[in-house]
Amino acid sequence: MTATILDDGRRRLVADRVLLTLWVAGAAAVLLLPFASMAPNRLVSGQPVMLWAALLPWQAWTAAGLAALLLLSALATPLPRALAHGLTLAAAWGLALLVLYGIGTYAGRAVTPDMPAARVSLGSAFWVVLFCAALAMLDAFQRLKAGMLPQVLYAVATVGAVAGLFALDLFDDLSILREYANREDAFAGEFLTHLALVGAALGPALLLGLPLGLLARRRAKLRGGLFGLLNFFQTIPSIALFALLVAPLSALGDAVPVLKAVGIKGIGAAPAVIALVMYSLLPIVRNTYAGFAGVPAAAVEAARGMGMTTRQVLWRVEVPLALPVILSGLRIVTVQAIGLTVVAALIGAGGLGTFIFQGLGQYAIDLVLLGAIPTIFLAVTADFFLQILVALSKPEGAR
Amino acid sequence: MIELQGLTKVYGGKTVVDDVSLTVGQGEFCVLIGPSGCGKSTTLKMVNRLVPLTSGRIVLDGEDVTTLPAEQLRRRIGYAIQSIGLFPHWTVAENIAVVPKLLKWPKARIADRVEELLALFQLDAAEFRDKYPHQLSGGQAQRVGVARALAADPSVMLMDEPFGALDPITRDVLQAELARVHRETGKTIIFVTHDMDEALKLATRIAILNEGRLVQYDRPIELMFEPADDFVRDFLGKADLGLKLLTRRWVHQYVAPAPWADRKASMGELRDIVASHGHVWLVDGEGRPEGLFGARLWRADGDPLGELSRVHPDWMATPDMSMKEALSRMVWRRILALPVVDEQGRLSGEVTMAGVMGRQSEGQAA
Repeated sequence: MTATILDDGRRRLVADRVLLTLWVAGAAAVLLLPFASMAPNRLVSGQPVMLWAALLPWQAWTAAGLAALLLLSALATPLPRALAHGLTLAAAWGLALLVLYGIGTYAGRAVTPDMPAARVSLGSAFWVVLFCAALAMLDAFQRLKAGMLPQVLYAVATVGAVAGLFALDLFDDLSILREYANREDAFAGEFLTHLALVGAALGPALLLGLPLGLLARRRAKLRGGLFGLLNFFQTIPSIALFALLVAPLSALGDAVPVLKAVGIKGIGAAPAVIALVMYSLLPIVRNTYAGFAGVPAAAVEAARGMGMTTRQVLWRVEVPLALPVILSGLRIVTVQAIGLTVVAALIGAGGLGTFIFQGLGQYAIDLVLLGAIPTIFLAVTADFFLQILVALSKPEGAR
Repeated sequence: MIELQGLTKVYGGKTVVDDVSLTVGQGEFCVLIGPSGCGKSTTLKMVNRLVPLTSGRIVLDGEDVTTLPAEQLRRRIGYAIQSIGLFPHWTVAENIAVVPKLLKWPKARIADRVEELLALFQLDAAEFRDKYPHQLSGGQAQRVGVARALAADPSVMLMDEPFGALDPITRDVLQAELARVHRETGKTIIFVTHDMDEALKLATRIAILNEGRLVQYDRPIELMFEPADDFVRDFLGKADLGLKLLTRRWVHQYVAPAPWADRKASMGELRDIVASHGHVWLVDGEGRPEGLFGARLWRADGDPLGELSRVHPDWMATPDMSMKEALSRMVWRRILALPVVDEQGRLSGEVTMAGVMGRQSEGQAA
């Protein structure tokens, strides 16, 4: 028996309280909240559809089975912990895909030729189950103390499977993809605009931030003022900063027509990029400073004492040792910039925020999701890759 | 050979190193020592110009290097520090190869040199070459640090309290290794420490600094017998020098023939030996000491033989025992002589309290 005995001699029933909590939350959502909503057309509000009504019987039973396995792996007996975490990863993976597959097939059945305008939207239970499954995966990886490689493989398998479902046109009848189909060209454009805005902000932020961070490390006198200023930028709410930039930039554009011709005017990309750069500077400068400050002083003294030039010390010793911390800063600002760019849509800069604000205006939740889900996807993907980059940049001996 | 001529360092109006001149001959082991803040580390760092000179000149092997670009100078001088400063992102081999790489040695020569240095410090190349610094113990890391300083075969090595952060046992081992490496390579070494024990173990010359000035620069034994002033006398005195000297002296250096007799000797013969030598060892049939007449502090007056003392196992000295330990046993057991025994436990000689005193005044053996 592998049951864990508590100090007071009681047998512990539950080994993984996080998983149990997630399980209860998911189960409660399925029992109490709609899994999907069904409307005859876009204009009327939908009728709630519960999970057992939406899924085919085999899907519902499989889902119940997977849920049972998850409950089993949360218990202290009979599975050893490592096996239980492995089971969690497998069952949560299966459940997430099953839920996606289920809602896709439901939409396919609900939107019949005699009701071509029918709308199937994602219900709250769908989101809760998906969210709980994702958290269960993360929790299991944490507890397994798994290395980078299995996590990468798992993520690739998940993304691949979801992409496969998309490739089967499974989701085409869902309302959100209907919105996508209506705006396919606009979507591609706004998606690229979003990426371009983020890139246009990160480039200058790095070009400015890396030298400023190094300067803050080398010149203690500048440090206080520099961090004070950057902190001040960070405290301005994003909408306020966007708005504040509109007036001076439009004045500048009016005064210098050349600038206006290249796009520097009150609204649009220019104020958005400037604001994003201002927000991005603090994390980059701070992490660059911290990275260089964290380089062991003894290593620098030894490097100089052995005859490295200042430049050799910088590139051979300081930069490699500071790089993981600097890249963590880049990771923070990338994720932050992807999120903040959404708000930039308000001042006409475009990007995925356009759909969100359109959707909010029309009370079309699926349109909001069309902006929100790709934004989240972008942020998570960027975070994932930069995390790998951070891990790779760590000195080989310390990985 | 390296000459420091009138080295002076002024920081914000305060003179921390004041006109220090000394010549370290080829193959000398020069230890800079003095109380905290005496300027010994600053002086050392002025040699490779990690601390810029306010004034003074440095002559390396007859060449004035004061105006040579600092990087070029440093590549010709080995440098090892207390905090070691191995590069955490490089392997042991890459760490050792730093200066040869800066000097653009061919790859094969660098690889050979790394092997050679690891062997010199008794680190197995196959095991250690590809390790990272965080996988090394403190002692191993400092071995690599010193090997790195030697990598480009500099004629002069600077060492700034390299063993200061090690535990006492590891420090002893590394001091012995450094002494051996110094003997084998004949490097000129300038070594900073605040530990007089360490200075006496390693130095061929000791430079004592106080308040930025060189107070005395002499061979260790000359320092002890002719301290330049009260400061040097105090500084040495504080270091319980006599005992410290004995830690570097060995029983085999002090051993003298032992007066002995076996059980067949008559009381008259014993009395004669004690009358001429003060004591006599009694040995058994195998030649092992088993008893002692005389040489006890509580020897009864009257009968010169006193009473027979049974030889305690604690009394035995071996040739490779330090004299400090031998002296300690004499004091603890309150006897004036210890039998020195060979590997079979047979009496081969003795060390005596009087012998310790006599030898002391002859000066330090080279």
